Amino acid sequence: MSPQLIAQNLVFGLFVGSNYGLAAVGLSLVFGVLRVLNVAHGELLMVGGYVTFWLFTLTGLDPFLSALVCAPVLFILGLALNQGLFGFVERLDEETKIKNSLLISFGLTLVIQNAAQALWTADERSVSSSLVAGGTVVLGVALPYTRLAGLILALLTIVALHQLLQRTYFGKAVRATAEDWEAASVAGIDVQRTYLITFALGAALAGVAGTLVSIQYSIAPAVGIAWTLKALVVVVLAGLGSIFGAFAAGLLLGIAEQISVFILGAAYREVVGLVLFLLVLVLRPQGLFGRPH
Amino acid sequence: MPMPDTPTPMLQVSGIDARHGDVQALWGVSLEVRQGEVVTIIGPNGAGKTTLMRTIMGLHRPSAGTIHLEGAPIHNLPPHRVSERGVILVPEGRRLFGGMRVLENLEVGAYAPEARRRRAETLELVFETFPILAERQQQQAGTLSGGQQQMLAIGRALMGLPRLLLLDEPSLGLAPIVVQQIFQVVEALGRQRGVTVLLVEQNARLALEVADRAYVLEQGRVAGTGRAADLLTDPRVQQAYLGYVPAPTEAPV
Amino acid sequence: MVTRQRWLIGSALLVAILATVPLFTDRRDLLNLLFLVYLAVCLGQSWNILGGFAGQVNLGHAAFFGIGSLVARNLWAVQNYPFSLAFVAGGLAAVAFAMVIGMPTFRLRGVYFAIGTLGVGEVLRLTTANALPLVSALPTELVNTYDLASRYELALGLAAASTLAAYLLLSSRLGLGVLAVREDEEAAQATGVDALRHKLAALAVSALFAGLAGATFAYYHVSYYPELAFSPHWTFDAVLITFIGGVGTLIGPVIGAVFYVLVREQLAVTLVSVHQVIFGILFIVVVLTLPGGLVDLSSRLRRPRKRAK
Repeated sequence: MSPQLIAQNLVFGLFVGSNYGLAAVGLSLVFGVLRVLNVAHGELLMVGGYVTFWLFTLTGLDPFLSALVCAPVLFILGLALNQGLFGFVERLDEETKIKNSLLISFGLTLVIQNAAQALWTADERSVSSSLVAGGTVVLGVALPYTRLAGLILALLTIVALHQLLQRTYFGKAVRATAEDWEAASVAGIDVQRTYLITFALGAALAGVAGTLVSIQYSIAPAVGIAWTLKALVVVVLAGLGSIFGAFAAGLLLGIAEQISVFILGAAYREVVGLVLFLLVLVLRPQGLFGRPH
Repeated sequence: MPMPDTPTPMLQVSGIDARHGDVQALWGVSLEVRQGEVVTIIGPNGAGKTTLMRTIMGLHRPSAGTIHLEGAPIHNLPPHRVSERGVILVPEGRRLFGGMRVLENLEVGAYAPEARRRRAETLELVFETFPILAERQQQQAGTLSGGQQQMLAIGRALMGLPRLLLLDEPSLGLAPIVVQQIFQVVEALGRQRGVTVLLVEQNARLALEVADRAYVLEQGRVAGTGRAADLLTDPRVQQAYLGYVPAPTEAPV
Repeated sequence: MVTRQRWLIGSALLVAILATVPLFTDRRDLLNLLFLVYLAVCLGQSWNILGGFAGQVNLGHAAFFGIGSLVARNLWAVQNYPFSLAFVAGGLAAVAFAMVIGMPTFRLRGVYFAIGTLGVGEVLRLTTANALPLVSALPTELVNTYDLASRYELALGLAAASTLAAYLLLSSRLGLGVLAVREDEEAAQATGVDALRHKLAALAVSALFAGLAGATFAYYHVSYYPELAFSPHWTFDAVLITFIGGVGTLIGPVIGAVFYVLVREQLAVTLVSVHQVIFGILFIVVVLTLPGGLVDLSSRLRRPRKRAK
């Protein structure tokens, strides 16, 4: 077991984990602020992947660039979904709201997944980038540029989100609403509007994640649920309250999976994450980085 | 400084009924607050005082009655609109944004456009009133002591440039010396800054000492009203809320 | 009570009549369709007991179905025990598993319970997929003695039994406690209802019937895909059936099952994925506007006055 091999696995774990982290951040944001658990989050990611695919197939737009189109498109979709669907349950008391939004997003999962299947067939689609190709080797560790670019794009998105939340007035409104929506309302914040925009942001983040997934994996209607589950695992691992925490938990999961593949073989890759998820859920519900409820 | 009697009171609450599910909490509550006054509402636990405050703020929808601010109806407005009109609540239990820093809490308080424009000067004023907040501006709000949190809560409300400040149980859970400090500030706000204050308070004595007028709320109904000074000496109020027990030689009223 | 008696007698008659169907017809398509309806009824009733009566949204229901299915199939098709034994064993295995996971997961509240059970279900599915061969076939003697009528009767019996169990639970003292837990767990706890015990009881019954349904599924199929038995679609189906029919009611899962299977079979012929889209939309509509499902719809149509909030 050479240090190169270990480093290679770690690096690959980071690459994979950055996708997990980005996929989770949108889900975490929406749940933290709106207390809405959108299990259709993975479907939005999948739609983002298809947007990238169709842009690539029809216009030849490089997938990495289509993230710039994907984000606004999914943002608008998020606005529509919140306005036309989730908005109806957001005024309810928290327990009913959480339960009903869970059920609604479950129905939405069925709708989006099967609509995608009806429209675009169950075939797997993939894209390739002409801008970013090839790779380099550093200290014996292979670094494919596609993967590296994915990691960088994910990081940039996270940093941008963080800046938005920390430095802008809107960001403060979002954080205040997440802590105590009544107090936020009294302070002059339009809570319904904050919910709307935050939800749309979550969708946009899913879209960008979908772009990266379409490049690094493949896209098919069935992948939505898998990514929802992955995002859920990361959100539970991280706990609520920190964007960077969610991203970090994603990276950790990626690394943990790599290690387990190394030891147990590829077949049990998914199981590792789920087992960790269940352990954290039962033993430390606030997650690794979250604040106690 | 209290203005001479103006034709329209600043806040007019008329016949408010409020329910919690099937249980009625307020029955035909009416009160008014004139510009520049400090008015207090006293009464036992569970009388509906907090419900009343929340209803005025728009956090709770009344099932009957109206609330007018300077003649304009506000009882159907969401809280952020009520806040924009100049009515701001310092909620029971403070309800700070614990994960955000002191300065950020204050900044959020100035969210409405007008308040945001003037936030620099308002911030100075708040820091003058509560120097401890200036000292600890970068500290996480959740780590402040009870008294400091109450000051921050009031400060946050002040950042919204309130014309009517609603204070719900500011003395709750605070040491007596801290409570004195807070009430000095409240009094100063009323007397010097001309902020109209509606105060809900368990500590009836303090409240009556700092207020101009008072209402007594019992079991969701207004049981009495008058000048604070008068109520302080009213034997019924004294017995019920001021812990005063008539000496055996005095005839019961 | 006269109405209750009428309902009981009517239902018993209905079951008796349905039981005679194989005597009058050999049509495999009809028997298969009804089999699927009965299985769906049992699936819905089993989920409804935990999800509707106890208010615990279980997204890992497929795990119970799968375990019952796997154990029964193994005992019957591989180890050659009589199916009656395998059937019961499947149900009990599901209950045993449920008790093991019930203790830790019931400490989770609300949405965390839902995603926790989802996680458990997925772990089982993936482990099964990895550990077992993709598909297995029945040994020849069992293929030769395959008799659709007995499967039909079994499924009918199970549908009736699960509905009866739900009815008995609802009218029992235990059921009262379960419903109280659903309404307000803390309040129930405060009045002396041991919430955990009641939730576990509901979980046990729920898992039992899901496991028996799974065993029936294993009995029904000649070629058997173990991973399929753990597929989340069993959970989704159960949730859809229950909500569309009327969550928390006795007759809801029955109506939902009939509606769901009939519509699905009809649509699946023409438009493959669209039927799921329709059900998804219908489900959302139910959650948003008609929490009582189709059961509620019929009674709302009969008395068109606004419900007090």
